[in-house]
Amino acid sequence: MSDQKEIDLRAAINAISDVVQNRPRPIRNFDQIYMKAGDMVLQSELVARWADEKRLAFIGDGDAISVCAAYLHKRGILNYGPSQIVVFDFDERICGAVTRFADKEELGQLRAELYNCLDPFTCDTRFDCFYTNPPWGASNDGESVKVFVQRGMEATRYTGEGMVVMADDEELEWTKRVLANVQEFVVRSGFFVQKMMPQLHQYHLDDAPNLRSCNVIIKALPVERALEASVAITSPDRLAHFYGRDNPPRVKYVRERKRLEYGKAHDDEYSFELWE
Amino acid sequence: MPFTLKPGQGVLYMKIGNHADEPLHEIIARKTREIEEAGFSFWGYGGNTCHPERMVQPFARSYEQRGGVIYLCMEPMDSKHHADPIRADEFSADGIVWEGVHPAINVLGSRFALVIKNLREERFDLPLAKTKVALGNSMGLSGTRYIRGRVDKACLEITEQTGVAAAEEPPARIGYLANLVAPYAVYVRNRD
Repeated sequence: MSDQKEIDLRAAINAISDVVQNRPRPIRNFDQIYMKAGDMVLQSELVARWADEKRLAFIGDGDAISVCAAYLHKRGILNYGPSQIVVFDFDERICGAVTRFADKEELGQLRAELYNCLDPFTCDTRFDCFYTNPPWGASNDGESVKVFVQRGMEATRYTGEGMVVMADDEELEWTKRVLANVQEFVVRSGFFVQKMMPQLHQYHLDDAPNLRSCNVIIKALPVERALEASVAITSPDRLAHFYGRDNPPRVKYVRERKRLEYGKAHDDEYSFELWE
Repeated sequence: MPFTLKPGQGVLYMKIGNHADEPLHEIIARKTREIEEAGFSFWGYGGNTCHPERMVQPFARSYEQRGGVIYLCMEPMDSKHHADPIRADEFSADGIVWEGVHPAINVLGSRFALVIKNLREERFDLPLAKTKVALGNSMGLSGTRYIRGRVDKACLEITEQTGVAAAEEPPARIGYLANLVAPYAVYVRNRD
C-alpha cells in the first residue's frame, strides 16, 4: 500500500459533504438508510486503505462510500484508494448520481451499472474485493445479507476479499443471529472471517436511532474451486422476507425521473411572491 | 368490565395530541363522524417506526391470522406538533396502486395513515415494560426502552399479563382505543 500521510480532516469532511449533496433521497421501502456523515468519513478512509490499488465492486451503495473513496483519493486528501470501482445498484437514481459525480469530478476509476442482485452476476471484470451494506435481515435471519454477499463473492470469482456491513447491537438478539448465520454462510462458501470491527457506524434511522453496524472483513481460502455459473435467486425461502417480514422484492429497478435541473430545488416545491 | 390485553397479543401504541393546528378532542370527534359516514377512517401519522408496508401491515396480518383483533392504543399527551393542514387526496396500500380518499375522510398533514374502526374512549394503563417490539430493526427490545426520546409509536407484543403495574416504569395512560382493519396502514399523498 502507498505511504500514508496525515489526513486534513476539514478537507475530508467537506469532500464527503460534496458527495452527500449529490445523493438521491433514500427510499425506506428498500432499506435505503444513510450512514451519518462522520461515520462516512471514517468508513471511506478505511475502504480506500483496505482496497488500495485494487479493483473494488460495490454490491449496492446508497451511502455513496464508493464515491467518497474515489473522491478523497482524487482530491489528494488520501494518497491511496482503489484502482477501479464499479457500483452495482438496482436504483437508477443512485447509478445516475455516481455517474454524474464521476463525470463532473473526472473520477475515471469510478462507474456504475444498473443491476438487481437477484439476477445472475455476469460482469466480465474480475474484482479483487467487494463491499456491501445490504438490508440487514432482521426478519429473515440474515438471508438478505447472504444474497448480497453471494454476489460479492461471485464478483471476486471466489478468490478475493469482502467488507460486509451488518447490524451489530448488544441489546438486540436478532443482530447476533444474523452475524452468526452470515459467518456460517461465508465459511461454507470457502471464505473465512479475517477481521470484525464491532459497533462502528450510526444511521439516519428514526425507528432505531441507536442501532449501529459493524464491518466484517472476509477473505477467500487459498484453495482451487470449480466456478459455477451465477444464477438468478428465485427461491421463495430466500425472498419471502427480503425487505422485512412478508416483504418480498417486487421492484426490479427503481427508475429515475430525469430532470433538467438535477441537484437544484424542484420548482414544484416553491412559488415566488413578487414585490408590488 | 375493564379492558384487558393478553400476553401474545399485538397492539399498536401511539402517543397522540393536537395535530396540524387541530385540538385532539376535535380530531376525535371528526374521526368518529368519518367512521359513521364512511364505515372506517384514516388516522394520519408520520415516521418510519410504523411504516405501512414494512411494519404495520405484516405486524397486523400476523396477529390477525392468529385470530386476534389488533388494537390501536392511544395515549393522549400535550403536543404542539406542527404540520401544514394539507388534505391527502390519494391513498395506497403498496405505494404503487393509488386510489382516491373517500370524500368523508380528511387526513391532514401526514405521510401515512392507519385504517381504523370502532374508535372510542377507553382508559387503562399499558405497562410498556411488559411489552416488546414485535418486528423491524428494534425487534425484541422492551417497549420501555424503545418508547423514549423521539420514538412515540410502536408495533408491540404483550409479553406478560397486563393489569399488574410494572414495578419500575410508569405505564402508558391509554385514553382512546380503535380497531385496526385491513389494509391496516396506507401511504397518503396530495396530488395538487
